[in-house]
Amino acid sequence: MPEQTSGYRIPHPRGELAFHVHGLTKVYPTAAGDVRALDGVDLDIRRGEILVLLGPSGSGKSTLLNILGGLDRGTGGEVVFEGRDLVKASDADLTRYRRHAVGFVFQFFNLTPSLTARENVELITEIAEHPMKPEDALELVGLADRLDHFPAELSGGQQQRVAVARAIAKRPEVLFCDEPTGSLDSASGVQVLEAIVKVAEETGATVMMVTHNAAVAQIADRVIRFRDGKVAELTVNAARKAPAEITW
Amino acid sequence: MSVLDRKLVRDLRRLAPQVAAIALLGGIGVAVAVMANGALTAVVVAQQRYYARTHFADVFASAVRAPRSLAAALRRIDGVVAVDTRATGGGLLDAPGLDRPAHVELISLPPEGVAALNRLVLAAGRMPAPGRSNEAVALKAFLDAAHVSLGARLTATISGREVTFTIVGAVLSPEYVYSPSESFLPDDAHQAVFWANRDIVEGVTGEVGAFDQVSLELSGDTDPVRVLPQVDRLLAPYGGAPAVTRANQPSNRFLDNEERQLRTLTLMLPPIFLLVAAGLTHMVMARLVETEREQIGLLKAFGFTALEVAVPYLRLAAVIGLIGVIAGGVAGVALAAALTRLYAQYFRFPAFEPQIDWGVYGATSLMAMAAAVAGAGLAAGRAAQLRPAAAMQPAPPVAYRRGLLSGARLGGFLDQPTRMIVRRIGRFPARAALTVGGLALSLTLLVSTQFLRDSLDQVIDRAYYRAQRWSAELTFFHPRDARAVTEAARLPGVIDAEPIRAVMAWAVGPAGRKQIAIMGLGPQAVLARALDAGGRPIAFAGDGVTLSAALAERLDLRLGDKVELDTLEGRRPRLLLPLTGLADDYSGLYAYMDRRELNRLMGDGDLASGVNLLTASDQTAGLYAAVERRPQIIGAVSRDAMVSNWRAQIARSFSTSILFYLFFSGAIAIGVSYNMGRITLAERSRDLATLQVLGFTRGECAYILYGELGLLAFAAAPLGMALGIAFSHALAAAFAQEELRIPVTISARTMAFAVTAYGASVAVGCLMLQRQLWRLDLVAVLKTRE
Repeated sequence: MPEQTSGYRIPHPRGELAFHVHGLTKVYPTAAGDVRALDGVDLDIRRGEILVLLGPSGSGKSTLLNILGGLDRGTGGEVVFEGRDLVKASDADLTRYRRHAVGFVFQFFNLTPSLTARENVELITEIAEHPMKPEDALELVGLADRLDHFPAELSGGQQQRVAVARAIAKRPEVLFCDEPTGSLDSASGVQVLEAIVKVAEETGATVMMVTHNAAVAQIADRVIRFRDGKVAELTVNAARKAPAEITW
Repeated sequence: MSVLDRKLVRDLRRLAPQVAAIALLGGIGVAVAVMANGALTAVVVAQQRYYARTHFADVFASAVRAPRSLAAALRRIDGVVAVDTRATGGGLLDAPGLDRPAHVELISLPPEGVAALNRLVLAAGRMPAPGRSNEAVALKAFLDAAHVSLGARLTATISGREVTFTIVGAVLSPEYVYSPSESFLPDDAHQAVFWANRDIVEGVTGEVGAFDQVSLELSGDTDPVRVLPQVDRLLAPYGGAPAVTRANQPSNRFLDNEERQLRTLTLMLPPIFLLVAAGLTHMVMARLVETEREQIGLLKAFGFTALEVAVPYLRLAAVIGLIGVIAGGVAGVALAAALTRLYAQYFRFPAFEPQIDWGVYGATSLMAMAAAVAGAGLAAGRAAQLRPAAAMQPAPPVAYRRGLLSGARLGGFLDQPTRMIVRRIGRFPARAALTVGGLALSLTLLVSTQFLRDSLDQVIDRAYYRAQRWSAELTFFHPRDARAVTEAARLPGVIDAEPIRAVMAWAVGPAGRKQIAIMGLGPQAVLARALDAGGRPIAFAGDGVTLSAALAERLDLRLGDKVELDTLEGRRPRLLLPLTGLADDYSGLYAYMDRRELNRLMGDGDLASGVNLLTASDQTAGLYAAVERRPQIIGAVSRDAMVSNWRAQIARSFSTSILFYLFFSGAIAIGVSYNMGRITLAERSRDLATLQVLGFTRGECAYILYGELGLLAFAAAPLGMALGIAFSHALAAAFAQEELRIPVTISARTMAFAVTAYGASVAVGCLMLQRQLWRLDLVAVLKTRE
């Protein structure tokens, strides 16, 4: 597997364009008529930046995350990642994209219960091209002493940090986090955010995080507020706060 | 319709494929029981009615030649209500269109027209007219098989005399419902039975005013076994052979044996299917309760009692059972009719109708329902025990903990997907065991039903190619001087000829006595030999006797013991001879010894009762034409014809049954693998969707799903084979008859066939899951808690 080349591993210096989103629409046909989940989104995302997407339910933020993450396709417009348009990509292309370029952190962790922390990370490093060692990835999220614990033997915050380690162990270009603190208490949530910020800084990955929690927005470089399938507001944080400085 | 009823209907619809798979297995269990019992009842009913209508006798005996006046004495035996005497003769019949002469049995009809016992049923034509000496009726099975039409004139050589009959009628006889030939399978074209007026039969056999066969009807409360010695005593002065009860009458014995096999089938197969159905019901219901725990908690929070919560699951299982019972009943009735039609080809009853045994249907249906409800019992119990508060919490994630099968113990050589497979099996051992057990039974069923073919092959090989290597066997009307062999050697196409001397006798041992044939063979004979367990010819030494191993076992005789042989021919000497060998033969019960020694002990000269021939296969027509013209020869058997007849019948009966058993075994393997896969998929869907989000291909996810099934199927294979071999031994014991022992041999080809069919069935079960696996919702897993 390591010798296989995906085409998604061209190194990019920080600050260059990661995604170019132009006129992106997503329409769900329903009995009551078409629902426009995304209604012409234009957005450029730079390498290495931490981006937080805020907005009420149904505003389109998750739809955008799903399309950028290769789980879904837009109805119109374009999403260019390293010269390729994800809107026009095939299923196999999207699988390859997810396999080599993208890391995911889910709200409910989605760890495999039958595998230990180390093995959950190995699951991904076995199919990645230039992965970290699983132990290093877990070290990065502060779980060097929990390598051989099964998920059922870890707290929620620890499980989510295993999920972060699993997501970054392949050294992804982009890390997508969907409500990563949504099912955690404040203290655990801060630990998870610290892990995400730390690995983003150390691996240079772009982080795109969807959340309901406005406090989390303070750790971002830029904050995008969604309303009715459109980007309603784009704020640039002059100075990012460290996760430890925020609370909710 | 209550809300819970509506939920029941929707659950049934949602679980339709799984419900169908389970109902199918329960249905097969019921259908097999109904089918086997329907056919069994059909045989029993037809047999009883036929026997009653034709006054089928209770006791049969024969003598060389007894005066008809003896009938009155036999009639006076306590318990005897009717006596029927007749003259019979045997010989060869030249029927146009047959490649070799048929054996013919000629039986006398009483002058009053209707026999007291064993009456004939006229199927076509008429009975011989009184006083018309050249008319005869013949067994319908023979006329059909040999393509002889009414009005045909047939010439036979019977008891050394040539006689020509016009066939005026086709008849059925209760004595020939099933006519086993020498190979235990019917060969209707070469087994003719004629009935003609008494005067001509007595003329042909030279038995004027005498009889050689007698049958007796007993009153209902008379034990036939008690009558036998009295019959034997009366017939002894006239060369009487031991009387036998109906149980030992050849046709009846085969019917009884078939009934025994059908009973075995009824007892063995349905429980397998019901057991697997119960196991699957358990797995599906346990999963259902697991997914509905929040709803159960809610119902309990609303004040539903434990019973009210549990009963719907039992009702769902009962409905699944009921679907199987109804479908199985319908299929069973149709199959019973089909099986009865198949039997009609072998069993000649005047009336043979499929019968439905409603009692058995009812009992099996109850068992099927009980199996389904019992399968759901554990799950329903779990639903009843859930506490409202706990039930409304989502189920705790499946807790894998360090221990067996975790960590270093799996070593570094397994990749993570494989570890997921192995750990899950370790985490749910009961479910894995159920799956392995169910799959193993599927293979067991195939192996234990297909072994018979290999075993019969071995019987044929041993009997007709290793022990008896003659290509034709001639039987003389009376034992003749061994010089007759020289004469036989000059027949067309004969390469080699060896004399045999057969003498009927009782073999007596510590455990009882048994009527057998003593086979006198040449010590250097190559065309007929006795073989030991290793297939080596057994040498005859002096007056030493070799017994069929099965016979020695039955009589409780060991090597070195003295065997008592009470001969039934000539002066009937009682011989006491040392047992020097055990022959590993599969058919018949024999004593083998040196022919000359046997002749000497019998007080005879150098006699042969028949001759074994090795013939050129391209000259058989000439040989049989020559044999027909020799009145001294009353029997001619062709090995090739016998073997090919045997093989053809085996092939015919197996080609039908193999489809049944492939279907049965496939239903088990597909039902188990599909249901197990559905449950795994349901529990794993979140895992698998997550992996797809993380970049695993569908193929890699399929590996995790199918790998588990494959591993369990692989583990089940040796178990299934071992069980299959064990079942084969049990079945061989159940199907074996005294005259035909069935060795258990399973060829590599049969095993390969069974394993391939089994693997294919599991693969079909997997393929049925494919669609669900491909339709996993990747986005949903990001949003939902398990």
